[in-house]
Amino acid sequence: MVLEQLTGNLVQGLVLGAIYGMATMGLSLIFGVLRVVNVGHGAFIMVGAFVTLWVFSSLGMNPVVAAPLAFMVGMALGFIFYYSTIRRLVKAPELASLLATFAMGVLLEEIVKLIFGSEFRGYNWVTGRIDLGVTILPVSKIYASVGSLSIAVLLYLWFKKTRSGTAMRCVVEDSEGARVCGVNVDGVYALSFALGIGLTVLSGVLLTMFIPVGINPYMGGAYTLKAFVIAVLGGLASPYGAFFGGLVFGLIENGSYTLFALLPGVEPFALTRFLSFLVLLLILLLKPTGLLGKK
Amino acid sequence: MKKEKLVCVVSVILIGLYLAACPSAGAGPGKIVIGHPACLSGKYAKAGEQALGGIKACVSWVNNVYGGVLLGGRKVPLKYKYYDCESKKEAVTSLISRLITVDRVNVVFAPYSSGLTLRGAPVAESRRMLYMDHGGANNRIFRQGFRYIVQTIGPASRYHEGTLDMIHHIDPGSKRIALAYEDSEFAKMVMVGAKEHAEMLDFDIVFERTYPKGVTDLTPLLSALKAARPDIVIGGGHFEDGQLFNRQMADLEVDVKALSLIAAATLPAFYEALTSMAEGVMGPSHWEYGVKYSPQEADKVGLPWIGPSQDEFVSLFKKAIGKEMIPDYHAAEAGAQVLAYVLAVEAAGSLDSDRVRVALGDLKFMSFYGGWDVDDTGLQVGHSMVDVQWQMGKRVIVWPPEARTGDVAYPMPTFAEKARGKVAVPR
Repeated sequence: MVLEQLTGNLVQGLVLGAIYGMATMGLSLIFGVLRVVNVGHGAFIMVGAFVTLWVFSSLGMNPVVAAPLAFMVGMALGFIFYYSTIRRLVKAPELASLLATFAMGVLLEEIVKLIFGSEFRGYNWVTGRIDLGVTILPVSKIYASVGSLSIAVLLYLWFKKTRSGTAMRCVVEDSEGARVCGVNVDGVYALSFALGIGLTVLSGVLLTMFIPVGINPYMGGAYTLKAFVIAVLGGLASPYGAFFGGLVFGLIENGSYTLFALLPGVEPFALTRFLSFLVLLLILLLKPTGLLGKK
Repeated sequence: MKKEKLVCVVSVILIGLYLAACPSAGAGPGKIVIGHPACLSGKYAKAGEQALGGIKACVSWVNNVYGGVLLGGRKVPLKYKYYDCESKKEAVTSLISRLITVDRVNVVFAPYSSGLTLRGAPVAESRRMLYMDHGGANNRIFRQGFRYIVQTIGPASRYHEGTLDMIHHIDPGSKRIALAYEDSEFAKMVMVGAKEHAEMLDFDIVFERTYPKGVTDLTPLLSALKAARPDIVIGGGHFEDGQLFNRQMADLEVDVKALSLIAAATLPAFYEALTSMAEGVMGPSHWEYGVKYSPQEADKVGLPWIGPSQDEFVSLFKKAIGKEMIPDYHAAEAGAQVLAYVLAVEAAGSLDSDRVRVALGDLKFMSFYGGWDVDDTGLQVGHSMVDVQWQMGKRVIVWPPEARTGDVAYPMPTFAEKARGKVAVPR
């Protein structure tokens, strides 16, 4: 019985971890290229959730349709915020960009609240379920995790195989050197920021496929915290590390619950959080660059 | 000499003005003032707006239909003085002080929520001011030794009594109960009460766990809950986790005969978010539009009746807030509190807080909100919660028998059946 529960929770953790990882890739990409810590990260996830809600509830369309739309909305927001604010702060002290991204998050929350109100909303997309024996997975969750994995692979290929991806890697290595070699560094910065925000907004769509309720303007806070933990776990400047960190985090969060539940007189949920942060501290002590981060 | 004359004249004028301002001996007050730090903005704005409308509606009924409060042989009108506390603790304390010292109110109505009510209680207590609680359900408020606080909302510990009584009544063979709730003071208090009542009715608690505030995934907990094979699940905490709870029960196909969630299941937004997955889900509520409380029901249980009928209250409420909106329990309990205060003042024959508090302790009555009676600590013991269930997309009051608008759909459909479009149909 315990083994069955543990296996079931690990499967659920892996599926959720893929989405966590995807939701963190944008954060890592922006930090990796621009050295900007986006503390408004969760608000962009929230925008993706509302795009999905709007597509499903108002247009009566499949949430999968919301994915490309959310990505485009995210890219547009990324370019707007980059050219209006971030561009001036790339070389500024970290606190300036930190405050700017915080302000962006608050601004987005209030705009969405103005449009949609502050109620907790949700949608009910009936897709059927697959019984794996140890657990039951709704098909929508499988779509979300497969979508996350596909996007991670596409991002990897884009970095490795395209000129713009190569230019981005050059800027990460040495921005001045890249500039001397003719790379449009400002353009790369803009594209990186827009791509990071696009991925984050897109992850909001996938997240609602996993949990299609609790959609509200302030839902992002919980995911911001998790994203930072995952980013540090995988390597703050590494998008692939972030994806890998997400998988690890999902497994730890869900798997440990079953094991802690075996201890008499304890509330497992409290301990799973404790364990997540303990692992984070250990990673920071033993490998500060994260599991897949490089010096 | 001239100066002395001037001082005398000024003194005479001032004394005259003072005497003119004072009511003549034997005359009662010209008005009775209810003071209220209302939550009109901030996180409790919705509940605060409802409370404001409920109070205004019942003040209007007392003044225009009832004719005022009978005090000293004459009818005295009620006046309602309120400020926006912005749902902030620090504003509550300063506004209560202001209402008592500057506005000279006769009673203070607490703001919405247990936290804010508890924050204001010491201020009212230190000034020996009657403090009436219509929105703070936590039993802990009444364990602090406050003498001037009286509750109208039902206490948290009694939220699920009706649900358990009903299941015990309709299906005595189903004994296995799972409790899963938010790790918050309010939810814990609800569950302590539910557990005690369940054990009293010989239910078996097969699962009991909490989850943290702000949880985003309940899958591990619900997997463990499913393994315990309960017949009935009681849980929740707030609106957002209630939605998540129901949704993820559906995802994992945790099929039970009854699911009751606090604070979430009774709200329209709950069904809007979950649609068919919310069919058959129940939740306790202090009051719902449609309850059948009436002078005849009051007669049956031997209680005096006061106040507007339910429909009169609804129409007064709409007029008070200037919106075409059906009031919810936040409005009803605040309105019922006005009626309790009026009856207590009449019984005490005084506005003195100590005497009115004693009268409130002896008071038992029924209104559109249901029964009203408090124990020695001021805790509400006379008001029964109603149980609401989603049936075919509509809220139906299924318990208690004296308030219900329909029969319960029991057992509720399985989640797979709901996914195929099956709705909850009464037995």
